[in-house]
Amino acid sequence: MMKRGTLCFLMIVILMMTVVSSCGDSDINPPATTGDSYDRAQLLTDVADHMIIPGYDKYVADLIALTSSTSAFVDSPDLNTLATIRNSYVAASLSWQKVSLFEIGPAEQISLRNYTNIFPTNRDEISEHINTGVYNLVLPSTMDAQGLPAVDYLLFGIAENDAAIIEYYSNMPNASAYLTDIINRLTSLASEVLNEWTTNYRAAFVADSGSDATSSLNKLANDYIFYYERFLRAGKIGIPAGVFSGDALPSTTEGRYSKIYSKQFFLAGLNTAADFFAGTDHDSTSSAESLLSYLQYLGNDQAALGQRIVDQFEMIRTTADALSDDFGVQITEDNSKMLETYDELQKNVILLKVDMLQALNIKIDFVDADGD
Amino acid sequence: MKYTDIIFGFLLITLLFGFSSCDDEKTADYDVPATYSFARNGENTVDFSGQTIRILMAEELVSSLSDFSSTKDLLKQQFANTDAEGGDVDPYISIQLNASNKSVRSKVAASTDLFSSNTTESAKIKSDFDRWMESQVDEVFPRQMQLAAKGIAGQIADGTTERYVSGKGLEYNQAVAKGLVGALMTDQILNNYLSPTLLDAGTNREDNDAQITVDGQSYTAMEHNWDEAYGYLFGNAPDVANPIGNLGADNFLNKYLGRVEDSEAFAGIATVIWDAYKSGRAAIVASAYDDRDKQADIIKAAISEVIAIRAVYYLQDGKIALEASDFGTAFHDLSEGYGFIYSLRFTRKPGSADSYFSRADVDGFISTLEEGNGFWDIGSTTLDEMAEEIAAKFDFTVEQASK
Repeated sequence: MMKRGTLCFLMIVILMMTVVSSCGDSDINPPATTGDSYDRAQLLTDVADHMIIPGYDKYVADLIALTSSTSAFVDSPDLNTLATIRNSYVAASLSWQKVSLFEIGPAEQISLRNYTNIFPTNRDEISEHINTGVYNLVLPSTMDAQGLPAVDYLLFGIAENDAAIIEYYSNMPNASAYLTDIINRLTSLASEVLNEWTTNYRAAFVADSGSDATSSLNKLANDYIFYYERFLRAGKIGIPAGVFSGDALPSTTEGRYSKIYSKQFFLAGLNTAADFFAGTDHDSTSSAESLLSYLQYLGNDQAALGQRIVDQFEMIRTTADALSDDFGVQITEDNSKMLETYDELQKNVILLKVDMLQALNIKIDFVDADGD
Repeated sequence: MKYTDIIFGFLLITLLFGFSSCDDEKTADYDVPATYSFARNGENTVDFSGQTIRILMAEELVSSLSDFSSTKDLLKQQFANTDAEGGDVDPYISIQLNASNKSVRSKVAASTDLFSSNTTESAKIKSDFDRWMESQVDEVFPRQMQLAAKGIAGQIADGTTERYVSGKGLEYNQAVAKGLVGALMTDQILNNYLSPTLLDAGTNREDNDAQITVDGQSYTAMEHNWDEAYGYLFGNAPDVANPIGNLGADNFLNKYLGRVEDSEAFAGIATVIWDAYKSGRAAIVASAYDDRDKQADIIKAAISEVIAIRAVYYLQDGKIALEASDFGTAFHDLSEGYGFIYSLRFTRKPGSADSYFSRADVDGFISTLEEGNGFWDIGSTTLDEMAEEIAAKFDFTVEQASK
C-alpha cells in the first residue's frame, strides 16, 4: 500500500498544481466557497427520494421474501426450497449493494454495514454458535459471524454439495435456527433503518442543508468516498487481489461460497456509486440533482472535472467487463485483470477525494486508522 | 518546518554554547561510523541483549493482556518474571525468555536520575501497572460477551473490530502497552543510561580512558551503558546496526518513532536520533565526554518529542471520532493517548534535571481523562486544551502532531 507520506506528498503536489493553474488564469471561477447558492436541499431531497428510500424499500422487501423462503427451506429442506432460498439470498444481496454506501443517520447509528456485510465470514465462530446454540448477535465481536456473508456460507459452503447441504439441515435443528436468526436480524436492522428514514430522518436530513462539517451533504460526500475507497475499491477488489498484502487472497472475495456472484455484487456496488455521483437511476431514466450537477453549477472547470469522473466510471466498467463472474477464479487464473480494475478504481479516488472535495469545499472527516 | 530544521536550530544553539563553554574540547579527531558498529582489536564491543529480552518480555505481556484465558498470576509473572514470593517462574512462551532472570517490572520507573531518590513515586507507578493488569482480569474479562455502556465494562465496536473497555472507556491493555513506552523504554534511555551520573559512575571515566573493559567482556562499562540506551530503542530491529529502514520492529518506542517519522512535519527525526547515538558512542571511544553529553541531549529532546507528539496525536484523533459519536474508535484512540500521556512523566528536558512534566502535571491530565464516566463524558474543548498544553512545551504545534 502506498505510504501515507507519499500519498500526502502527492496530494500536496496535486493541490499545488491546482493552485498554480488557477493563479495563471484570472478569468477562472473562484473555487466554491460556503457562500455558493446551489440548492443543496434539492440535491438531498433527490438522493433521499430517488435512491435511499426506494433502495431500502427494495432491500427490505427482498429480505422479507428471503425470510419466507428461509422458513420454507428449514421446514422441508430439499432441492426446490434450497434453490428458492438461494435465489432470494442473491436478490437481497444485490439490493443491499444499492444501499450500502448510505451509511448515514439511522444506518450509521446501528452500524448497519458492519452487521450486514463483513467478509470473509468467520466459519469457526459460526460453527461454535451452531454447536453450542449460544450466541448474542448484538455484540460487535459477532459481526463476522452474521450478515449476508454468513448466509452465503450457510447456503453454499456448509457441506460439499447440494445433497449434503440438504442432509445437514435435515439433521441439524441448531443450524436451521441459526440461519433463521441471522436472516431475522438482517431484516430487523434494515427495517429499523427504513422506518427511521420514512418517519423522522428524511425531514432532518433534507433540512440540514448547510455547508458546515456536520451538514448532511458534507457527511454524505464523506460517507460516499469512504464507501468507495474502503468497501468498493479495497473490499471487493483490492484486498482479494492482494494489493495490500502482496499475495492475492482469493479466500477474501465477496460471495466466496456461492462463487459466481462476486462480479455481480461488485458491479451493483459500482453502478450505485456512479449513479449516486451522476444523479442517474439505473432502473429508470429519471435524472436528478447530484454531485455532478453541483459541480456543473459551479462553473466550466468544475463541470469538466465532473465529466472526467463520469468517464472514469465508464472506464472502470469497461475494465471490469473482462473479469470472470467468479473473482476467486479470476484471481487464481489471471490476477492482473483484477489489478487493472483496481488501478482504474484508484483513479477515481483521486478525482473524488482530492479534486471534487476541493471544488465543493468539503473536508475529509475520516482518518486512516493507524492499524493498532 | 521539517524536523531537521528544528533540530538544526537546536544544534546551532548547542554549538554556540559548546564554543563558549569548552574551548579546549577536541571535537574533530575521531570518526563516526556509518552504522552502529564498534569494535576493539577486531572484536565487537556492542551488546544490549538484556534490552532485547525485556522488549520481548513486554511483547508477551501485552499480548497476554488481550487473551481472555490469561490469569492474574500469569500477567503478574510475565511482568515480574518471579512469583509472589520472588521465586523463579517460566511464564513466557519463549524458552529464551524463561531462561532469563531479567524482568520488566524491576525496570519500570527505575532510572537513576528520576527515581533513585524518589522510590515513593516509583512504587506508585509500578502499582499503577499492577492495577491495570488486575482490572483487565477482574473487570473486563468477565464482560467479554457483554456490551459496554457508560460506567459498565464490556465490548464496543470500533469499525469492523471490537474493543474491550472499562466502565470509563479505557482499554487497560493500551494503558499498559503505551505506559511501558514511557515507564520502561523512555525512562531507561533518557533518565538512566544517557545520564552523565550513570555514565560517569565510579571509575567509569578512568576505565574508559584507559580502555579497561568489564571483566570477561569486550566493552568498557561506559560503552555498555550507552549501548543499553540504544538497545531499548533498537534492540529488536532486524538489523540492529542499521535499524532506520525497518522501524516498527516492536510494539513500543521503536514502533512509535516509526509513526512519527512517517508524518510529514517530523520526517528525519529517526535519523537525527540514530546519528546522535552513533556520534555519542564514537565520542565515548574517543573519551570526548562533552560531545557525548551533547549527543545525549539531542536524543533526550527528540525522544521526549516522540512521546508528546503521539500523546497529542491520539487526543486529536479521539476528539474527531467522539464528535462523530464513533465511541469505539474514540475510546481506542484515547486509550492509546492515555498511555502516552502517562509516559510524558518519563520525558527529559535536555540540560536539566527535570522531566518536561511533573508528577502533578501528569496526574492532572489523567484525572481529567478519568473524571466521571471518563471517555464517555469528555468534551472536545477539554481534549483540545490538553493537547495545547502538551504541545506548548515543545517546538511543534497541535496541528503538526495531528497529521
